[in-house]
Parts: sequence; structure tokens; C-alpha cells
Amino acid sequence: MAFVFKKQIFGFMDLLRFKKMVPKRREKLAEGAAAPLPVSYKVNETAKILHPGYQKAVLREIVLNTQDTKTYVFETERPFYFRAGQYLTVGCKVGQSNVSRPYAISSAPKDALHKKVAVTVKKCGFFSGYLFDSAKAGDEFILGDPSGEFCYEPVKDSRQVLAIAGGSGITPFYSMAQSLADGTSDYSLTVLYGAKTEQDLIFKKELDALVSDKIKVVYVLSDEKKAGYEHGFIGAELIKKYVSGDFTVMMCGPQAMYAFLDKELKSFGLPLRRVKKEANCVGVRDVKDATYKLTVHIGFETYTVNAAAGETLLTSMERAGLNAPSKCRAGGCGFCHSRLISGKYSLAGADKRRLADLKFGYIHPCCTYPDSDMEIVVPKA
Amino acid sequence: MKQYDAVVIGAGNGGLVAAIRLLQGGAKTLLVEKHNIPGGFATSFRRGRFEFEASLHELNDFGTKDNAGEVRDLFDALGVTDKIEWMQIPEAYRVIVKSEKLDATMPFGVEEFIAKMESYVPGSTPSMRKFFDLAEEIRLAQAYSSSVNGKTDPKVMVKKYGNFVRCGSYSVNEVLRTLKMPQKAIDILSAYWCYLGAHLEDMSFVHYASMVNRYIRRGASMPKMRSHEISLAMVERILELGGDVLFNTEAVKILQDEKDSGVAGVLLDDGTEIKTRHVVANCAPHLVFGKMMDKVAEADVRATNARKFAGRGFTMFLGLNRSADELGIENHNYFLYDTSDSVAQYERMKKIDTNTVQATVCLNRAYPECSPEGTCMMYFTTLYMSDDWANVKAQDYFKTKDRVAEMMIRRFEKDTGSKIRDSIEEISVATPMTYARYCGHPQGVIYGYESQYWDGLMPRLQMMAEDHTVRGLRFAGGYSMRLSGYSSAYFSGDISGRQTVGDIKREG
Repeated sequence: MAFVFKKQIFGFMDLLRFKKMVPKRREKLAEGAAAPLPVSYKVNETAKILHPGYQKAVLREIVLNTQDTKTYVFETERPFYFRAGQYLTVGCKVGQSNVSRPYAISSAPKDALHKKVAVTVKKCGFFSGYLFDSAKAGDEFILGDPSGEFCYEPVKDSRQVLAIAGGSGITPFYSMAQSLADGTSDYSLTVLYGAKTEQDLIFKKELDALVSDKIKVVYVLSDEKKAGYEHGFIGAELIKKYVSGDFTVMMCGPQAMYAFLDKELKSFGLPLRRVKKEANCVGVRDVKDATYKLTVHIGFETYTVNAAAGETLLTSMERAGLNAPSKCRAGGCGFCHSRLISGKYSLAGADKRRLADLKFGYIHPCCTYPDSDMEIVVPKA
Repeated sequence: MKQYDAVVIGAGNGGLVAAIRLLQGGAKTLLVEKHNIPGGFATSFRRGRFEFEASLHELNDFGTKDNAGEVRDLFDALGVTDKIEWMQIPEAYRVIVKSEKLDATMPFGVEEFIAKMESYVPGSTPSMRKFFDLAEEIRLAQAYSSSVNGKTDPKVMVKKYGNFVRCGSYSVNEVLRTLKMPQKAIDILSAYWCYLGAHLEDMSFVHYASMVNRYIRRGASMPKMRSHEISLAMVERILELGGDVLFNTEAVKILQDEKDSGVAGVLLDDGTEIKTRHVVANCAPHLVFGKMMDKVAEADVRATNARKFAGRGFTMFLGLNRSADELGIENHNYFLYDTSDSVAQYERMKKIDTNTVQATVCLNRAYPECSPEGTCMMYFTTLYMSDDWANVKAQDYFKTKDRVAEMMIRRFEKDTGSKIRDSIEEISVATPMTYARYCGHPQGVIYGYESQYWDGLMPRLQMMAEDHTVRGLRFAGGYSMRLSGYSSAYFSGDISGRQTVGDIKREG
């Protein structure tokens, strides 16, 4: 059976050629340049702009938008870039704790190339309260990587985008409107913006100034009847009034608004691919008071802290001053991916973990409530 | 100060295996990974109701219990095979070169493959048989070489593996032409070339034949829960064996001994110093010698500068809201080329505007339940053979990636006739920038150093000992002696892990 492979007239010539491979490579390696190896590479440099990672930022300006909402304008350490609609975390040390929260970016992507970025925050919780009452120009913060998929996606989305905003949910759409106005993106945007009263509208003046053939803004006031404004809640009727044909819906607002719109949108028969909802941070849960022991391994250290049954593991770790990683705080991004050693738990909302995470016992502390004492391994922040 | 017998830098495929091997050899081992999950590219990610495989098209040389390949043998030895649920890929591939009216779907199994080839190219059987004979001899020769750690006896080589030695210095095309294989059969047989990323005049026949043989002889496998399942299984094994693993932790420096400049420790990104005399680096020598070590010998700088980066990656992931049947996606694995002339194709793959090559997978064709009923998942991969993406500025980045995604969709629809555009529910795109960020690879390279003629599989294996230039430092992963690809990276981790165990024992 066996055939003899031979390329040259004599087989030994093939053998000789084989023998030369090592000397040949040795020679080639020795011929390489003696110049120092590059310390960085262009693609990696661009990647660093697209994904700056954590960076320092100085708070430069605070703008009061409404009585309970302020815009915080930062100057970042490095230029970066993002997609309009994305969020980033803003963090700093409050007392003994390292605290950070994700906020939708309200400034234009182009500004970030000049190290300028803004988030617009409604005073409603611990960290937003701190920002609202205590932050001042000149303070230093740590900003995270721009993240999230709540963006216009040209390859699959309809060129007609219906944005539905509730309250401070307007922020990502304001960034999107700016990116349309300055030519960064190209599609048509209709914003239905719901608020209680005219006084509660954030960015009204700015949005009105951006209105064009591509950008339409409709204000919907629930608690006030006023000329030039729609009245009531955003529902099927208003949607039909302002958009028709094929469109992509993007919603950003409180959970109650999503629940209401889910019903209202039914009659449109939209496939999932046409509907996007920005996730909200996981909050407290309503259970009987209980405090469990949470043992946390970070790096080579082990800590034991209290974990309230009603709060997520992430919140308990932050309360205790542990430097745990966090990003979306909605269970989806996987940034806080941690290994469960023992204990029982419940999830907030849908399980967004990878299949193998369930199999091998990994959890996302940002959306996990303790139901017993627990022991987990958390990567350092 | 913390002290370990060995530190593995990077929990990619090579690093994970190296860590297990070190622990099995009794070494106290620390594995550090800069990302928050293991695997490097061997991972998965969620978008909506889909969980996408990040990189694995199909794992070769795994086989089944009754027809075990070398990767399965390795996984058995590591103790991870049974931690993972496996399934078999139904067929090898479908290659379409529309401009040449070439459209062939090839099965697994040597006899089946040869028969199918005969049906496409009558008269091809004798040369195909020779091809598989050669390929099998190559496999055996490599097994012999591994068994003696690359220190082969020339007499044994010539006597027992003569054909291997005689064909060992030639390119794919040189050998296939010598076998008088009809051109069309060469075109069909060489469809896998983009998996290795060098064209057929440059790529060593041994390397290519070895891969094809592994695929066709053993079939290809896939973990059910994407490659994330393999990576987490390996981490579980490392923990079982008493290893330490730190995520979100980057090794920024390899500390060097005053006297011999060998490994003395590792500096982590938070300033922690780890004392160790042994490192397995699952990353590019360009990074290790370029920025992680202060004292680097000129010979190492020269040798590293001499090497050529292989393909820079690009992958589009689609979650579709109709089933593969409804969309007319018939196959698991497609190769779509402009031309069968791999040299011309390689040239076209240098530029963003001219590269329309794609290797495309519809995972549901291997595992129908991988996505919800009535949906399917696809991923489309290409390589760039130059740094054209370095010319893309940040502000043009998103438009450029959308443009390439559009090109890929158009190409797939045109070549296969199936219509997918209006069914896209989720889309995600990874570019060289993504790969550069995710694993830190220079320029977004996903294939390590190119398998070009002089730096191919054979000379790398033969020079394993002399490439080990720094005391205590060994490499694993796509840049090392087995070149890139999942199975190669696993083997490299196996080799470097075991060799480091030997180094430690010799030190006493």
C-alpha cells in the first residue's frame, strides 16, 4: 500500500530540505531588528479610546435642570468615544465606601473625544442624593467604561426610531438627538417625552433647538393640561398619532412605564427585534427583615459582612466598604460575575447569566438577594 | 510576600491547561487573568434571548469515547472531559466560491470524504488516498516527536516516517501538486486554510494536513453551553487541585533575578508582588519582551521582531428570529471565498474594502436547541492580513464596523440564497479593536504568529528547547510552539505546563 512521497528527483534532496528548516528559522530569528519592541500598537490605542476603562475625571460644571435633576459635566483624563444611548458608571468615595452608579450619558459622543462628558441625574437615592447635595466643581470622580446596547443599530433597526422617555429617561435620547444633529448618526427620531408637568421637563429648551426634519419631540404631561403639549400618558393612541409604518421603539423610564407600554404596544404586533428597553438598576425587595452573614473572598483577603435580606449582595458589600466590581446593576452585563461557594439566594428579575454560570455556580451579586448565610468569591474591582 | 512554585499569566486556553498540568505535577500554582472571566476568546456572551459563542467554530481532534482524538485524551488526563456536555458537528464544511461555480459540502470520515470528493471531482480518489496516508503518517510522526519532547532521533524519523520527512519542508500547494491532485480537488480540500491564516504557497503542508486529518478522522465537537463551559470546567478543576485563581487581575511585570535575569516574581496591577521562579505566559512574546520585562536579551528582541502577526479578527454575531429551516440556512459551517487562489485571496484580505471572505457558522445546525424555538444563531468570522484597522479612527469606528457587517450579510445572502437581513433580532460585532481590548493582543491579532513557511509548525516544534531562552519563562497559547486554534492552544498549555513541572523538579 505504502507509497513513497518524493518531490525532487532524488528523495534525499527532500530530506536535505527538511534538515535545513531549523537552521533557516534560526537564521531568520537572528535577522530580526534589534530595535526595541513596540510598547503599544495603533489598533490597541484606538481600542483604548473606544474602551477607556476606569479613568479619573474632574467635575467641571453642575447645571440645575429641574428642581430635582442636575447635569454633571466632567473633564476626563483621556479622550474617549461611545455610542449615543450608552451609560457609564460614576463613582467616588462616600464616607468609608467606594460607591458608583451607572448613568446614561447625556452629552454627545463627539464631546468625549475632547474629554468632555455629562450625566444627568435625578435625586432619588443614596448616591444621587450625595451628588445632588454635596458634589461641587473641582471634585474628582472615577468614570467607568461606556457600556450598554441601548443604541441605534443601523444594521438591524428601522430607520424610524420611536423614543419613549419617562422623566429622567430622556437622557440617552438627548445624547442620541445630539449625535443626529451633528451628523454622527443618521436616522429619524421621534421622541415622546412624558413628565408630570412642564416644570419637570429636562432639556426642553435644548431639545426644541435640535428639532429638524430628522428630530421630532412631543411632550406629554400627565398632571397638567397646556397648549402645545399632549396630555395624559404615552400609550397606543399617541404612538399611532406620531409614527406609522415600520419603526423601532426604544424605551427608557421607570418600570411602571414599561409595564403600561407593554400592554399598549400589543396592538402593534411588533417583533422583539423592534423593541428595546433600557434596564433599570435593581433596587430593594420587599421581604421580612433578616440579616445574614456574607463571607466574601476578594484577592487573598476574606471578609465577613452583614447582608440584609432585602438588599442585593452588591449593596451589602458596598455598605461594608468592600471594593466590589459593579457596572450595570441590573444583572445583565456580567461585570460582577462571582463564584458562589455556599448559600441560598433569589434573583431580581429574569436570569441573565450564561448557561455555564448556572452549571458551575456563578452569580451576579448586583441582582442577587441572600436567602441564607452565603460565601462568595468576588474579583477585585 | 506570597510565594508560588509557578504563576500562569492569562487564563486563555493555553493558560488554563498549563495551570492544571502544573497542579497535577505538584506545583503550588497561581493563575492570574486580567478579565473577570476565564477563557480569553473561549467564552460566550448574552444578548437578549441568545447566548453567543464568542469564537469556537468547532473543536477538532476531540472525537467520541470510541474514536477519541488527542484533545479528548488530553481532557481525560486533565480530568475535565466529564464536566462538559459534548455534541458532535454533523458535517465538515460547505465551501462556496461562487465566481468559480464551486459549491461543495464535505462530510466527516475519511472514506466518506474521499467518496464525496470523487463525486465532485471524478478521478480524485488516488491522490486523496495518498493525502490521507501522508496526513496519518504526519500524525504518527508528531506523536513520536511529542513522546520524546521534540528530541527526535533522525534515524528513526527517516526509517519510520520517511514520507513525513520528505514532505515536511514543503507548502500545501507544493505537496498536493506532487500528489497530482486535480486542481478542483485541491480547491475543495484546502477550504480550511483560513482557519490557519496563511495562504497555501506559504503554509506548511504538515501543518495543514495535520489539521484536516484531525477534523476528518475524528469529526468535530462542541460544548453545549458554548466554550464558556470548557473554560469554567477548567477553572473548577484548577480549584479542585488546590490552585489559586485571581480574576480582574493583570500581571504587569515579570520580575527578574539580579544574577541570571530569569524569573524572580510577578508584579500584579494592584502593586502586589508574587514571588516565583516560574511563569507560563499565555500571551504574546511581543507583550512579555516589549513591556513586561525590564532586561531582555538582544537575541530575544531580534527573534520577536522577526515574527509576523497572523490574522486580525472580525466576527459578526446574529440572533435571528426565525429558524434555520425557515431561513433556508442548510449547513453548520460555511467557507465563502472570492477565489480558490489563496494567494490572491490573502491579498484581498489585507484591506477592509476588499475583504469579503467569511467562515460562517449556524450553531443550530449542530445543536438545534442552542437558541429558543423558532430562532437561530449565526456567527461570521473573517481575518485581516494587514493592519488596515489601524487606519480607522475612533470617530469612524462604528460606521466602519457597520459597513463590514453589511458586506458580510450581503455576501452570505448572495452566495447561499438564504435571506437573513429582515430577521435580525440581535447583532453584535467584534473587530480587531475588540480583540485588542479583550485579550490585549497586539493589533487585534487572534491567530498568534503567522504560520509562514520558515516559522511553521515543524521548525517551531523542533526548536522548542532553544526557543526557551529565559530561565523560568515558558509560553502557552496561540503565539507558542503549536500555533493558534483551540486544540493547538490546549496542547501548548499541556507542553509548557509539563515542562515547567520538569524545570521545578530539576531545581529540587
